[in-house]
Amino acid sequence: MASSPSERRGIPAAPFVHDVQTYLSQSGLDTNAALTTLQERLQQYKLAEIKLTAQRRDLQAKVPDIKKCLAIVESLISKLGTGEETRVDFELAEGIHAQALIPETKTVCLWLGANVMLEYSCDEAEALLKKNLENANTSLQAIIEDLQFLRDQVTITEVTIARVFNWDVHQRRKKRQAAAESSS
Amino acid sequence: MQQGEGNETEVTWEDQQNINAFSRLNNKFHELEDDIKLKKEMLENLEDASNELILTDEDVVRYQLGEVFCHILKDEVEERLDALKAESEKELEQLEEEKEAVLAHMAKLKTILYGKFKDSVNLEED
Repeated sequence: MASSPSERRGIPAAPFVHDVQTYLSQSGLDTNAALTTLQERLQQYKLAEIKLTAQRRDLQAKVPDIKKCLAIVESLISKLGTGEETRVDFELAEGIHAQALIPETKTVCLWLGANVMLEYSCDEAEALLKKNLENANTSLQAIIEDLQFLRDQVTITEVTIARVFNWDVHQRRKKRQAAAESSS
Repeated sequence: MQQGEGNETEVTWEDQQNINAFSRLNNKFHELEDDIKLKKEMLENLEDASNELILTDEDVVRYQLGEVFCHILKDEVEERLDALKAESEKELEQLEEEKEAVLAHMAKLKTILYGKFKDSVNLEED
């Protein structure tokens, strides 16, 4: 089992409670206050989880897009030196296609965003796209690890809530029993 | 992951880590199930495409690459489809293996956790 870090990307780790009684007396909270604090913490974790999940979804959508770009660039590269044209149907508007002939080409233009398009040689374009794909995969991996960390914190907090709650039920029962015994 | 009422079994850090691991695996299991479903659909689509390709009389067919439909010789498309199919099959196999491993690990953790907490702990899906 890996050692647990105290925080990850600004997300604090959930403290593990070894003994409920000690935890309550040390933090100076009664059961209800402790439960409220823990619930708040849980909500924060859940919020962070939602954000990260959205980020992961975005990245996961980006990967196939980059792969699509790579496929067409690779196809253009495979035509290099053959003198062959590529005949394509391309979309003019939604549902309207026209035919085009792409002569053997050494360069393609990549849309870089921010209203900038740059012409690259096909090889450079391929390299850049591959690099982008790699970066996307690396960030995706990092987010997945963050999510796993977060999941642990959620689980710890949930278990702690259950334990504090159970401890409280148990204490009440003991008190009731003690009261019943002393009155009888 | 709910505890039964009022049963006071001590939860150690080790137990907590086992519960965490179980929770992670359970998550992973669901993700794998989704991935496997998608991969299977993908394979079916590729299979359909291959079958259509066999039936067609055209020598040149349109094959989507990037955002456009390239006019590509039927034979070459067949090769491309076969390569994609082989890749998808391999990926599907890997996912299935991973799923088995996750399930086995979960079963092991279940034995440990149920062994310690009896019915104070619930590890089943609702």
